[in-house]
Amino acid sequence: MSTNIAPAPGSSTIELALKIWRYDAETGEKELKRYEVEAPDWVTLLDVLDIIKDQQDGTLAYRKSCRMMICGSCGMRMDGAAVLACKTRMYDIAKSGHEPVISPMGNLPVLKDLVVNMDPFWGKIRSVKPWLDPGYDEVAEKERIVSQQQMNVIHKEALCIMCGCCVSECNSMESDPEFLGPAALAKGMRFVGDARDHDDVQRLNKYNEEHGIWDCTRCYFCNERCPKGVDPRDAIAKLGAESIKQGIDHDMGAKHAKWFVRSAMTTGWLREEELIPKTQGYISAIRQAKFALGLIKHGKVRPVPVPHVAERVGEARALYNLVKEQGRDGALGIVQGEHALGRIEFTEEAGARENAPEIQPGVEPPPAEG
Amino acid sequence: MALRRVAYYKGCLASLSAKELDSSTQALAPQVGLELVELQAVTCCGAGDIHEAEPDYYLHLNARILAYAEAAGCDTLLTICNVCTLNLRQANWQLKNDDALRQRVSDNLEHVGVPPYSGNVEVRHLLWEIAEGEGYELLKAAAHKGLKGLKVAPFYGCQILRPSKLLGFEDPDRPWSLERIIEACGGEAIDYPAKIKCCGFPIIAAREETALGELIQPIEQAKEAGADALVTPCPLCHLSLDAWQSKLKAATGKDFQMPILHLSQLVGVAAGLEESELKFKRHVVPVTPVLEKLEV
Repeated sequence: MSTNIAPAPGSSTIELALKIWRYDAETGEKELKRYEVEAPDWVTLLDVLDIIKDQQDGTLAYRKSCRMMICGSCGMRMDGAAVLACKTRMYDIAKSGHEPVISPMGNLPVLKDLVVNMDPFWGKIRSVKPWLDPGYDEVAEKERIVSQQQMNVIHKEALCIMCGCCVSECNSMESDPEFLGPAALAKGMRFVGDARDHDDVQRLNKYNEEHGIWDCTRCYFCNERCPKGVDPRDAIAKLGAESIKQGIDHDMGAKHAKWFVRSAMTTGWLREEELIPKTQGYISAIRQAKFALGLIKHGKVRPVPVPHVAERVGEARALYNLVKEQGRDGALGIVQGEHALGRIEFTEEAGARENAPEIQPGVEPPPAEG
Repeated sequence: MALRRVAYYKGCLASLSAKELDSSTQALAPQVGLELVELQAVTCCGAGDIHEAEPDYYLHLNARILAYAEAAGCDTLLTICNVCTLNLRQANWQLKNDDALRQRVSDNLEHVGVPPYSGNVEVRHLLWEIAEGEGYELLKAAAHKGLKGLKVAPFYGCQILRPSKLLGFEDPDRPWSLERIIEACGGEAIDYPAKIKCCGFPIIAAREETALGELIQPIEQAKEAGADALVTPCPLCHLSLDAWQSKLKAATGKDFQMPILHLSQLVGVAAGLEESELKFKRHVVPVTPVLEKLEV
């Protein structure tokens, strides 16, 4: 077969098949269509879509631009997982005989085939005020130098290409579509952590509103999916830590987090029975008396909580005081671990995989919906 | 058979609201080749909350747990909770791979009377210990009573799969360990899309409505797929899936009555553990239909 993507001299071709969810929001028609392609062995998913569009079906719709992982246009799902099509090599999949299912990203309305409406995404990005506010109008005569150390704080967040892969699988956003979500909040941290920005308190107050940082359910899909290593969940944790450092702790989520600190310092173990009253307030907790009685009946909570105190808990308290004196509060406490975490990408460590059975076919993605 | 000594970190929930997880784990351990050395002078791992509120303190608290595991002469710290697993593995990775950071944290530990941590402990969840290798072989032998074809929906929860660079035991999108264990015990593993999704627990106190929107998915899908019960390796998932089902009923009118089992309970039933160890009476949603089907 002829192809406009020619194999390089000395390279070979592969044969692969994939299924694509075709969908048209105007007619509401949807269909899972199968395609077979012969292609050079180095092709990416995006190359395969190009071949299909060029040679088999010119009506196939998807976004693309740079083809080199920097424009963020070609986010889509393969076997239910959001990927950048241009970053996804097809060789191993073709050799395994697996036929992947390609579908549009989640949490965004589908317009046609693999194209989603990004308006809600951009609306959330805009709402976090994604520009630098230095707090002055006049440009000073002398250059303001920002050190590398200061920029390291936002190094990861600055890598974001706004492709939407993190948003696609955000479990909180599936349940609360108004949640600002991982991309917008990582963008927020990119400015809160910027040494040149002077608007961090106002920003943090905004991000602490109802659909903000405390909506995050810590499912870690965003870290898993991000093709650029932004780790949006960690960015959200940094915003939480910065908020609490600044005393912005009125949200129930912040109170919940602070109760764990208080518990560790005082008894070592979580003072579980007091968690809901400390999070929601006693009046709200009393309204849940019937629910609480159900838990008491099964021994989940005790009617009279007697503190469960860890041995040598004084050490945990002394550690807290010592750590606070050393002043690595807020986002810095997370940033300090990034040097080590960055090294994971380059090693095999992480975990053992011996005796792993054959990979099972992936979870079929849900049908595309408008 | 010589048992392998591992430091045992049971975490907050198994100490209190999920005591049945602790008792079933302790009873099961020798059957799968483990001698549990329970750490007494340890605290909460922070459950992601201290990481978000006071991250430097989070690192020190977890370093302290690792230090006591090392001081107990163990190279493995056994966890029975997803959230403990991620928090400890994340801190451990940072301490092992940044000498300056480990030195500072270790100095601080010594300053308050804690043994220093030199980075020689691996954090492993019980699930991983029995899903492969010797633990898996022993599990197959121990599960002599079987599960009589019980249809079990595996529910992984988040923080034993993601971020995979810190957990890394299995493909986070196509995990296999729970299925393998269910089948080794004689049960039938049910497949459904939400098995790798979130139960909503971390925000169930602060954002209950959003959390319930997550919680309903695995329960509803497992029910539709014909599951008799759902099994999870995480006590936080267990608490939300079990205790908050009544709130799902109030919010949606759907009464699923889906029994939720801890991993150690599911294996424990197949291995013939007693009710005094399994403590099913501590569940909010009755496990009775499962026990009747198994003729226990």
